Amino acid sequence: MSGRPTTTPDQAADQTEARQGPLRGPAEYLPEPMSYEAITSEVMNPLLMTRVGRIWWISLLVSLALTVMMVVSILWLFANGIGVWGLNQSNIWGFAIANYVWWIGIGNAGTLISSMLLLTRQRWRASVNRFAEAMTLFAAAIAGLYPILHLGRPWFFYWLMPYPNTMGVWPQWRSPLVWDFFAIASYLIFSLLFWYTGLIPDLATARDRAAPGLRRALYGFMSFGWTGSASDWLRLESFYKTAAAMAVPLVFSVHSVVGLDFAAGLAPGWAETIFPPYFVIGAAYSGFAMVVTLAIPIRWAFNLQGLVTRSHLNVMGKMLLFLSLIMTISYATEWFMAWYAGSEAERDLVLFKFFGAYAPYYWLMLACNCVIPLALWLPVVRRTPKLILGVALAINLGMWLERILITTTTPSHGHLPSSWQIYTPTIWDWTLWFGTLGFFTLLFLIFVRLVPFISLHEVKQFDWQRRRG
Amino acid sequence: MGPVNRRTALKLMAASAAVSAGACGRQPEAIVPYVNMPERLVPGEPLAFATAVTLSGVAQPVIGQTFDGRPTKLEPNGDHPAASGSDAFTQAAILSLYDPDRSKAVRKGADTASWDGFAGEFLPRIEAHRAKRGEGLRILTGPSTSPTFFDQISTLLDRFPEARWHQWDPLGEENVLAGAELAFGRRLKPVYRFDRARCVVSLDADFLGAGPEQTLNAARFGAGRRVWGAKAEGFLRLHVIEPVLSLTGSNADHRLAARRGRVAELAQMIAARFGAENLPEGGIEEDARIFLERLVQELSAHRGQALVVAGAAQPPEVHALAHWLNETLGGLGETVEFLPADDEAPPAAGLRELVDDIDAGHVETLLISGTNPVYSAPGDFDLAELLGKVPFTVHHGLYRNETAARTTWHLPALHDLEAWSDARAGDGTVTLIQPLITPLFRGRSLFSVLGAFFGTLDADDREVLRAHWRRASGAGDFETWWRKSLRAGFVEGSAPQSVRPSAAAVPKPVAPAVEDEGYELVFRPDTKLWDGDFANNAWLQELPDPVTKLVWGNAALVSPSDALNLGIEDGNLLEISLGENRLMLPAMVAVGQAEGAIGLALGYGRPEAGVIGSAVGVDVNPLRRLDALWHATGAELRATSDRGRLIRTQEHSDMEGREIIRDLSFADFLHGTEEKDEEVPPSLYPDWDYPDAAWGMVIDQSVCIGCSACVTACQSENNIPVVGPEEVERGREMHWIRIDRYFRGEPDAAEVLFQPVPCMHCEKAPCEPVCPVEASVHDREGLNVQVYNRCIGTRFCQANCPYKVRRFNFYGYGDEQAYENLDDPLYQAAANPDVSVRSRGVMEKCTYCVQRISRAQQRADREGRELDEGEVRTACQNACPTQAIVFGDTNRKDSLVSKLKRARHEYDLLGELGTRPRTSYLARIRAVAASAGSEPGEGA
Repeated sequence: MSGRPTTTPDQAADQTEARQGPLRGPAEYLPEPMSYEAITSEVMNPLLMTRVGRIWWISLLVSLALTVMMVVSILWLFANGIGVWGLNQSNIWGFAIANYVWWIGIGNAGTLISSMLLLTRQRWRASVNRFAEAMTLFAAAIAGLYPILHLGRPWFFYWLMPYPNTMGVWPQWRSPLVWDFFAIASYLIFSLLFWYTGLIPDLATARDRAAPGLRRALYGFMSFGWTGSASDWLRLESFYKTAAAMAVPLVFSVHSVVGLDFAAGLAPGWAETIFPPYFVIGAAYSGFAMVVTLAIPIRWAFNLQGLVTRSHLNVMGKMLLFLSLIMTISYATEWFMAWYAGSEAERDLVLFKFFGAYAPYYWLMLACNCVIPLALWLPVVRRTPKLILGVALAINLGMWLERILITTTTPSHGHLPSSWQIYTPTIWDWTLWFGTLGFFTLLFLIFVRLVPFISLHEVKQFDWQRRRG
Repeated sequence: MGPVNRRTALKLMAASAAVSAGACGRQPEAIVPYVNMPERLVPGEPLAFATAVTLSGVAQPVIGQTFDGRPTKLEPNGDHPAASGSDAFTQAAILSLYDPDRSKAVRKGADTASWDGFAGEFLPRIEAHRAKRGEGLRILTGPSTSPTFFDQISTLLDRFPEARWHQWDPLGEENVLAGAELAFGRRLKPVYRFDRARCVVSLDADFLGAGPEQTLNAARFGAGRRVWGAKAEGFLRLHVIEPVLSLTGSNADHRLAARRGRVAELAQMIAARFGAENLPEGGIEEDARIFLERLVQELSAHRGQALVVAGAAQPPEVHALAHWLNETLGGLGETVEFLPADDEAPPAAGLRELVDDIDAGHVETLLISGTNPVYSAPGDFDLAELLGKVPFTVHHGLYRNETAARTTWHLPALHDLEAWSDARAGDGTVTLIQPLITPLFRGRSLFSVLGAFFGTLDADDREVLRAHWRRASGAGDFETWWRKSLRAGFVEGSAPQSVRPSAAAVPKPVAPAVEDEGYELVFRPDTKLWDGDFANNAWLQELPDPVTKLVWGNAALVSPSDALNLGIEDGNLLEISLGENRLMLPAMVAVGQAEGAIGLALGYGRPEAGVIGSAVGVDVNPLRRLDALWHATGAELRATSDRGRLIRTQEHSDMEGREIIRDLSFADFLHGTEEKDEEVPPSLYPDWDYPDAAWGMVIDQSVCIGCSACVTACQSENNIPVVGPEEVERGREMHWIRIDRYFRGEPDAAEVLFQPVPCMHCEKAPCEPVCPVEASVHDREGLNVQVYNRCIGTRFCQANCPYKVRRFNFYGYGDEQAYENLDDPLYQAAANPDVSVRSRGVMEKCTYCVQRISRAQQRADREGRELDEGEVRTACQNACPTQAIVFGDTNRKDSLVSKLKRARHEYDLLGELGTRPRTSYLARIRAVAASAGSEPGEGA
């Protein structure tokens, strides 16, 4: 962060555009031709620099404090049981499952961006895919915690696994929770592998640049003896592309299964065939919003406007807009089907959403997910970091509200009115939720200091492409 | 001491180990097998004994089930002539037996004393009184029907002619007896034959509500509305006039909300229509006029089958008027019978006389037993202070309660299940009470305490009882008589011959109600705590009130229009002032309540009830007056914006137009030809195969009165934990069967519908496929079972249960995180050993009492036979006084449950979801169909 130029890359890009007209092709995403050395320095310097800014330390302390809060919340939960949460006999899931769905949604986008864009040869992904994948990993890991924490007897969580046991019992294969268990587990393992293999050449670069000592040894170990030989590259490329092809169905499966957790039952508002695709879209939506939410501070903090350009923001803004429209259609489909299917309970539930106890949250959710993102029609919003960050934050909030509402509205307003109860979270619901946010931030802060957070080798490839025109 | 060698070291080690082992930790318990095995006792096999518990002195005949000498469950005594299901009080008696807050020792002031110490002071004192022919001696007891007690007290009064016996029952039925005296010149206790009536009119009588005769009344009432069994020819129609919606009013076909003070006026209008003269005619509103027109028309149409019942809160004149009406309508001896109420007990004085005597300084020694007047006495005098004026006061009771705290001595009493005694049941049958367990603490019975008047405190209760019956039975062979009666639990043919009174006197006009500006306070016995005696019973505290669904507290019930005028909502604290007295309690807007009437439940706000019951709710006794126990006029209300605590188990009472409870008129039921068209949605899963039994249940909504006996019975049978007020407030009550209560129509005149909801044991159970660990599974006899030790608590089953009947242990309610002292080892003795206590984090639910099914099957197997139809009865079914719950094997075509499942008006709750429940419902039949949305009270 030393030697901040007087003109930011954004301003430089503006000047270039003023001179040459709008940028086209790869230049859009890499406006300034950069030497390989420059690219490496851009990313590696913040990583290998010993001094870091005060902001990083403050953020670290805050997120560490929140992480401690999360740990305390978990210990309190284990000591006392899930009665510490605001659950009741009708609302038996509450925050835990809602936050699980939200986190797994966040965890969706990284792999989606990486694999889909790789397969569709969207080379611009190189600037964002690394931290998007890291985000996926962290989010999915946190999401994976929730289903265990939410168990009444979490110490028996391994009963979800099919393993030979003296009880002679297998998991119940018809249960979406078992599908869920496999979906999350495979998604998590796969995301880790995918992320890590993409990281190997960059770890080798870090190894080569690090001063001799522990750090070099560590990077050396982590890079698996990467030499950069042609055969290394060949293996990496073929594995990476194949993995990407395998990742796409996984991305879809994991969130479809989450949708099935709800849809496989017969509760009004849950038992809808639209749920699996609706959940996938929702996940991509919240995930992309989170990528934007993370990209802008990173780009600012590490002065990466040259690598993560406003054109990146622009395409991601378009993506968000597109997903927002699909979300709106999904909501509309839900309302229509509730009316069209003719079930009294379903119709009543839609009215309850709009006018019932949670109505303010529902309206806020619609505003965040359907109305505010419409601002993205305007190029200026997509290209102005602050504005698009605002929209992305609104979407994050909106999607979180959506998860909360999905999990609480239906049980609060089920088939028998006698059992209608309102869900109110307790302090422990909130501490765990904010604690996981802090933990996520903590992991991310450590990540940006530990591994190259932009895929060097891919940006270089992209740069080479750009040079060739 | 020399150098430590090996031997010394070892010695020291051994010594220290011995010291540490002996110093702390639990004393080792010796488990020794019986040297002499008690006869018939098989470890793990329950034994059953006939006995009874009492409510307001009236016997509730039961069969007590004991495991290894430890009573765990009370079932109705089916052979008893008055046996007819059970009520919540009876079902909860087990918990009170094991209440660790029960008084455990004799106390003098605050100090622990002994029975001998008491005898040392008391017996000389009695001797001194004897010299004065009993002058200055007073005995105050609660209500009783015990012939042996009456015998004892008569003898006592003979010996101490100047002594006096007072009785105090805060919920006494003095008005009923006085009313009969007014009509027939004799104190008689009416017994109502709802089973023979076709048209019943209740003048503020809550005969279906909680009370000693509830089960008997409910059973007979149910018979009048049951359409299966004997061919139904007619259908009971109920008209109710009452101020606050009661259980009786909830079951009415036509109901008129009127202030308690106005009921007399309305009753006179009815009487006037039947020719009574000299009765004042008052103005009347249109809806009341329509109500009375219809009522009079129907009464006239059902001569001989009509019945008018007046409530205990109504003045004797209204009772007399009801008797006259019954006579005019040919109901005497038909729909109402009378038992003598004056020939057994010596005349008892009331509380007023006692208070006057204390005031005048005439009382030197006062023995109080079985009543808690310091708490329950009305607000006209300060009994606590008055007791201080009596030189020597003794309290004898189960608890060191408010009265015990203000007497010189306190003596622990015996619970009914520890005692030898007798009492009369609702029909007058003498019921024997035998102990199921040796006294847990150092209590003694009232017989023993009264023994002091004959020179000893060590009387053997059993011998006292036998001595009385040896004389009274008139049996030649007493031992045979005794064994037979004890075994049966009652004395055969001991119900007194019903009295056929002479013609009822023509009613005299009732003094017109003073029209007051203020509000009318309507005092009501509580459906769960009764007069406050049950305050420390956690099962009852947590039992939802059938109508208001309130738990753990009381509220001021306010009519919707008054609430609007006062600008209050549910939970607003309301200041009620009546003269000098004022108190604050949370308001609750109550459906179907008369405008200007405020409903107040007694029994709450006890300062010294115990760990569970102290300071729950608000005590409204200070607002009562001895001369007007049941209502007060001229009260002023002040609404505040402060919030009080109002804990309810059901927040939403509208069916939202969904077909949850189906309705049918009796005519449609009789003449309807519509075939059942239950379209069962298809399922991908194959049908189950039941080679043996296939259990099923049918719940008849025509006869369910909503009394909630089943809820407590289930709690007792299945070790269902109490969660406490905070947890209920969070919506975490654990009852396996709940009674949903819906209102239909306008809030001020709504119709009430009850629906008991246990687990449906669905054929295509939504909970089964979603459980990831197969803790929710289907068994080979149709039960949907929950395997507690396999459950990991994902709660997916409940998320997918459309009936929301599953119950999750959010905390370890049953053991380490129990509410207050409910984890006391003594309470654990109340648990049914056949049912596991569930731990934290597991889901539980109704099992159709699978432990009873297994036991019955094992018994049948041992005896090498098939199970009989009706041999397995669930706890809820047994407790139900109206036989609304029918359980049995649906594989047997001849079983009652199979027959009912074939009935035209049988249906599945939420059947359209394709769950194919094994629990199904019979549509709610009423004399007149109340189609959804129609104005209640119309038709006919």
